[in-house]
This record gives sequence, C-alpha cells and structure tokens, in this order.
Amino acid sequence: MSHASATAPPHPGENPGVDVPAIALRKLTKRFGATLAVDTIDLDIPAGSFYGVVGPNGAGKTTSLSMATGLLTPDSGTAFIHGVNLWAVPEEAKRMLGVLPDGLHSFDRLTGAELISYAGLLRGMDRDTVEARRDDLLAALDLEGAGRTLVTDYSAGMTKKISLACALVHAPRVLVLDEPFEAVDPVSAGAIRRILTAFVESGGTVVMSSHVMALVERLCDRVAVIGGGRILAEGTLDEVRGGRELEDRFVDLIGDVADQRDLAWLRQS
Amino acid sequence: MVASVLAIKFRTQRHVLERERWRILIVIGGALWAVVLLPWTLWGASALAAEGSDFREDVLVGATLILTLGWVSVPVLITGLDDTLDPGRFASFGVGARRIMAGLTVAALLTIPVAFFTVFFLILTSVWRDLGAGPVIVAIVGAVLTVLSLVFVARVAAMWSTRVLASRRARGAAVAGIAVGLGLMAPLAWVLFSDGLDAVLENYLVVFLDQVAVTPVGAGMSAPNAAAVGDWFGVTWRLGELALWVLLLWGAWRANVAYALVNPKFRGAGTRRRDDTIIAAVKNAPMRGVLPTRSMAATAVRARLLRYWFSDPRYLANMMGVFVFPVVFVALVMPVTGLDVRWSFLAPVLLAASIGWGRHNDVAYDSSALWLDVVSGRIGVDVLRGRMSAIVAWALPATLVACAAIVAWSGLWQVAPALVGACVGVLGLTLGVSAVSSVVFPYRAPAPGENPLGAEVGSVGAGLVAQLVSSAATVVLLPLVIAPLVLALAVDPRWAWLACIAGLALGPAAYIAGVRLAGRAYDSRAGKLLGAVT
Repeated sequence: MSHASATAPPHPGENPGVDVPAIALRKLTKRFGATLAVDTIDLDIPAGSFYGVVGPNGAGKTTSLSMATGLLTPDSGTAFIHGVNLWAVPEEAKRMLGVLPDGLHSFDRLTGAELISYAGLLRGMDRDTVEARRDDLLAALDLEGAGRTLVTDYSAGMTKKISLACALVHAPRVLVLDEPFEAVDPVSAGAIRRILTAFVESGGTVVMSSHVMALVERLCDRVAVIGGGRILAEGTLDEVRGGRELEDRFVDLIGDVADQRDLAWLRQS
Repeated sequence: MVASVLAIKFRTQRHVLERERWRILIVIGGALWAVVLLPWTLWGASALAAEGSDFREDVLVGATLILTLGWVSVPVLITGLDDTLDPGRFASFGVGARRIMAGLTVAALLTIPVAFFTVFFLILTSVWRDLGAGPVIVAIVGAVLTVLSLVFVARVAAMWSTRVLASRRARGAAVAGIAVGLGLMAPLAWVLFSDGLDAVLENYLVVFLDQVAVTPVGAGMSAPNAAAVGDWFGVTWRLGELALWVLLLWGAWRANVAYALVNPKFRGAGTRRRDDTIIAAVKNAPMRGVLPTRSMAATAVRARLLRYWFSDPRYLANMMGVFVFPVVFVALVMPVTGLDVRWSFLAPVLLAASIGWGRHNDVAYDSSALWLDVVSGRIGVDVLRGRMSAIVAWALPATLVACAAIVAWSGLWQVAPALVGACVGVLGLTLGVSAVSSVVFPYRAPAPGENPLGAEVGSVGAGLVAQLVSSAATVVLLPLVIAPLVLALAVDPRWAWLACIAGLALGPAAYIAGVRLAGRAYDSRAGKLLGAVT
C-alpha cells in the first residue's frame, strides 16, 4: 500500500484561503481477484456539502465508501478526512466520521438502545452524554417504542434507522451513508431527511449513496456518478445533469440496456 | 421432471466446482478414500466369513449402527456441503412436492457416497456365501434397503435440524439438548467404573446389539442369519419392517419437502424487552471515575460479549463443547483404561485448554457486524480486552470449580496449588494465543442466526491454517506451566508450589501480552478483518 505517494489535500491552517475538503480520495484503487473494483479514483468532497454518489449495481460505490471510512484497506491510494490521512492516522480521522454501511450485520442481540449506547461508549464518550443522546436519537428516529427490543426482532427499515443512530451519536463532522433510505418508510424517511438537512445547514457534510435519482436531486447539492470503478462525472447537481433530468444524464453516462427487446408475448391483449 | 432436477443438480455442482476449486480436493479425497477402503472391505468380509454366524450378525449390526449415526450427524454438522437440492430453492417455481420428489430421490441416490456404500454393503453380503443362496439373496435385499434407509435418514435429519434450528428459541433448546447429552454420560460412567470395560463388553454390548438387530437399523443385517437357520418368518418381518421404515423415511422427507416449498426460511421468535445493560455495565464499572474514558470501550465490549455468551446459540454451543473432552476423559477414558486417579488432574487442565484454544477464531463470530468496532477508532486493544475478559468471566470460575471438584474427589489436597496454578497458566496462555490467532488468522464462522453446530464449509482451508498455527503455539507454550504439575504428581508434591507460582505468573502475563499484541494487530489489520470473516 502506498499511502504516502498520494498527493495530500491542503491541511487546515496550512494554506489559508483554500478550503479543506471534508473527504479527499487520492488514487484510491482496489482489485478483487481479476476484477478491478475501484480504479485510481480521485475525488474531493467539499465541507458542508450534501453529496450524492450514484452508479449502477457493481459500479464500485460501496467499495469506494468502505475505503473512505476505514472498513476496507485500499490496494493503493488513500483517503483524507478534513485533511487527515485516514489510513495513516486512523484514530484522528475516524473520530470525525459517522458511518452507515449497507448490507452488513449489526450486533443484533443487543436492544436498539443498547446498540446506540455501545456505539457511543466505543467512541469514548462519557456515560451521561451517551444516555442523553441515546434517548434523543430514539425519539427523533421514532424508535422509542422499540428501544427495549432486540435488534434481531427489528424490520429492515428499523435496523437501518438504529444503525443511522449509531453513526450520529458522537456528533461527527462527516457522515458517510450507504443507501440510508433503503427499506425506510416515508414517515421515517422524512424524519431522516430533516435530521440530515439540519446537519448540513449547521456545517456538517453528508455523503450518501443511492439508487433513487429523485432523492438525490431533492437532497444533494453535489453529485458524483461512478461506473466501472471510475468517476464518470462530478460536480454540482446542475453541472452534472446539464439542464436535464439526472436520471437521463445517468443513463447517458452509464449506457442504456443494449438489447431493448420487445416482450410482445407478455402483452395481455 | 426427473431429468430437469438432475440437470439442475449437476449443472449447479459444476458451477460450484468451477468457482471454488478447492472443493475438487474434497471430491478427489472422497474418491481416493473410497478406493482405498474397498480392498479393506473385501479383506474384512473374508475374515468375517470365517467366524460363527451370530458373531457375523453382531459385527454387521454394530457397523450399520455406527454408519447410521454418521449419516445422521454429518449433514447436520456440516452445512452447505451439498445444498444443490435444497427444496427451498424450488419454492419460487410453484411446483408441488409430488412433481419434484422423483427427481430429488434419484438425484439423492446418484452421489459418490451412495455409490460407495452400495458397493460396501454388497461386498459384505459375501459373508453369508457359505450358507447357501437363500441367506445371500436375503442379504442383498437387506443391503439395498439399508442403503436406501441411510440416504433417506440423512435427508430427514438434515431437513428437520434446519427446521428446528430456524427459530431462536429452538436453537437454545438444541444447546440444552447437548447439555442433557453430556449429563447422560454420568450413568454410563457409573456402570463403567463399577463393572469394568470387559464386563460391559461381555454383558451389555451383545444384549445391546441384539436389541439393535430387531430395529430397522439392524434388521437388514440380521435377516440373513435368520435365513441361515431357516427362520423365514423372522426374515419376512425383518425385511418388511425395514421396507416400511424406508417408506416412512421417504414419506417424512417428502412431507418436509412439501413444507419447505411453501414455508420459506424465516428468522425470529417472540420479542423480548430488556433494559440497557450496556450503559449499566459502565455505571457499575468498579473503577468508575478512575479509569480513563477509553477503557469504557473495553467495558462496553465486555458487556456485549457477555450478552452473546449467554444468549447466542453459537456461543452457547461453544461453551457446552468445551466440557465434552474433560467429561469424556473422566467418565469414559479413565474407567475404561483403568488409569491411576492422578490422571483425573488432566480434566481441569483439558477444560482450560479447550476453552482457551477454542477461541482461536473469536473475532469471526461477530461476522460482518464488526464494522461498528472498526469504524469507531483505533481501539483494538480495548476491543480485545473486552472480548477476552468476557471469556474469563465464565471460564475462570468454571475451571476453578473443576479443580475443586477433582481435588475433592481424588483427595490429593497437597497437589491442589499445583493444579490451580497449572489451570490458570493454561487458560491464560491459550487465551493469549487465541487472541492473537483470532485477529491474525480469522476465518469464516457460522453467521448470527445460522446453525450453531455447523462448520462453515467455505472456510476449510483458512480454518486449517489457523488451527495448525494456534495448536503449534499452544503445544510449544503449555509445557511451561504443565511440566511442574506433572512433576508434583509423579515425583514430589513439593513441586506443587513451583507449579502454582509458574502458572499464576505466566498465565496472566501471557494473557495480557496476547491481548495487547492482538489489539495492535487488530488496528493494523482493521481494513482487512471484514473481508476475512465474511
């Protein structure tokens, strides 16, 4: 691994007048056997942005986000969180990150309340703060009634919400959320949207991957389109969609289904 | 439909072999094993043919009983070895059990083990050659029915165990079953201690095999002997009973397939409500206000692992499992082999070693849930301290109780300090080794909610390396604390105090060193752990 070879983004205070990106990916690469999942990605995510990462299935979104949050060691390249090299100084970088991965287990023999407490204590917070924030989060995410139930008995959406609470409990500066709205009901989705929007308004940064283009257009001010392990387009929402619907632009970039065969036999009359 | 099911089976198998080439080794190993075993079977059959007919019957019945136990337990213990015919996979196609059962039956019979055991049992029918054609023909019918019963009993066992283990409460019940099984060793041990092995073999075993011979398990093997003495009524009801048994098993399998086709796998049980014991553990921490805040992470991890140890069937099965070796040793090996009472001191040492070595894959039991520990910072030492101290919380008392029980039973009080020292030493050393091994060589363990008794087949290679390395390290280190105990028992009780001091010093030292080393390794390997355990 060559963390040092990557060009570092500016550090806070090092170069006044230049903004330090919340997340800077430098030459990030990951290969699984014969598959090049992420191909030397460079990306700056400005502080204070609500950033959308979109791409088709298997494009390398989750792999990139995993390498940007300390869950997966890159083959080469590194990630900087507010100028701190995640793979060289993880203790400092991880403190600034709140992470919600997709498709992983959670410690489901704990209750929802216990899982939040656990996440807070791992972060080194004192118990009174953990207790207070735990109750706030359960209320804000409409999980008060389920706080004393084991997570294994939760629905998919509830599990998502409790994992989000774990990502929020230490009040990080940057949130990296992989499919945060998947399986979440509309009422809870509204609550999550309000929480995230307020977080960004107060200066925090949210990086969110999603397959739902309408959601990305509604929430995000910047967006990156990933395909085949590379960044195909990146910029403000308007720059990327270039006056069209994001979905159309996305299909342009990725390429539509090549053989749009007419399933005539499926027609009912 | 038979052809379609067979095509699916063979195509799936080909794809699996192409994707996971190490499985070819299992196929080749199995084929070699079969080829090597057949000459031995021929030799055994000719040797057996020279014995009296009652003896032949007893041997064949005993062998069939052992094979039946094997056919029942292997598919239950090794999940995923051959799930190409899992009927749940047909659920979404909307076919009924009636239509696919023929295909499933033929497919189940077209496997290497079935081919081998068919040949195996047919060779064994030659045992009856000297008694004329009648007994041989009966033996062949019995052999074919016995093979069918083995195949079907394996299917029923696998499907029932999956069904039973699908709910959380049932998995707990399965663990309780293991405990009861261990408890049943006691009366057996009592008989062995009081009567001795020879008497047991002479009196009980023959009686026992005679009983098995009239059950479906042994009926196919005892029918030829009945034919040999002209007891054709006996032949008829034995073969009839076996044929009925085969039909019943097939019916049970079919009923299970029908069930699986309309009841997809589910998770769950009732909802239970609990107070937040994680936060309570921190409040009750003995050094509250004195400890730096970082070690609260260790307290939280410990509280979480304690919950898992006492509620997750995977951990409970492990906890039960460590008692098997020591109990078998004291209850079976010692009375059977007539060992000196001093050998009983090995039991608590075995217990400590089983507990410690058994955790060499501890971290992998978190499965992919360990992301939460990884993203929370550079806290490897805290994570390992919490994990290991949760084990010590039950392992140390269990080991000390075993020590006290053995000392009280043997009456060798003067060696007690040596035993306590050796056990603490062994526990500390093995846990230290396991802490490091579980971070450096983790391999896939059963995921939460999976069969707690199952070995993950995909992890065979990685698991072997981890087990070899952790065993080698354990074997090198253990003499340090066990040698003085042996000297105290065999040479002079005055060695007891050295054993005590050596164990009490080296055990905790190795434990602390192992946890620190493992914690640092955890931090430096943090980005690789998730991939290694899933």
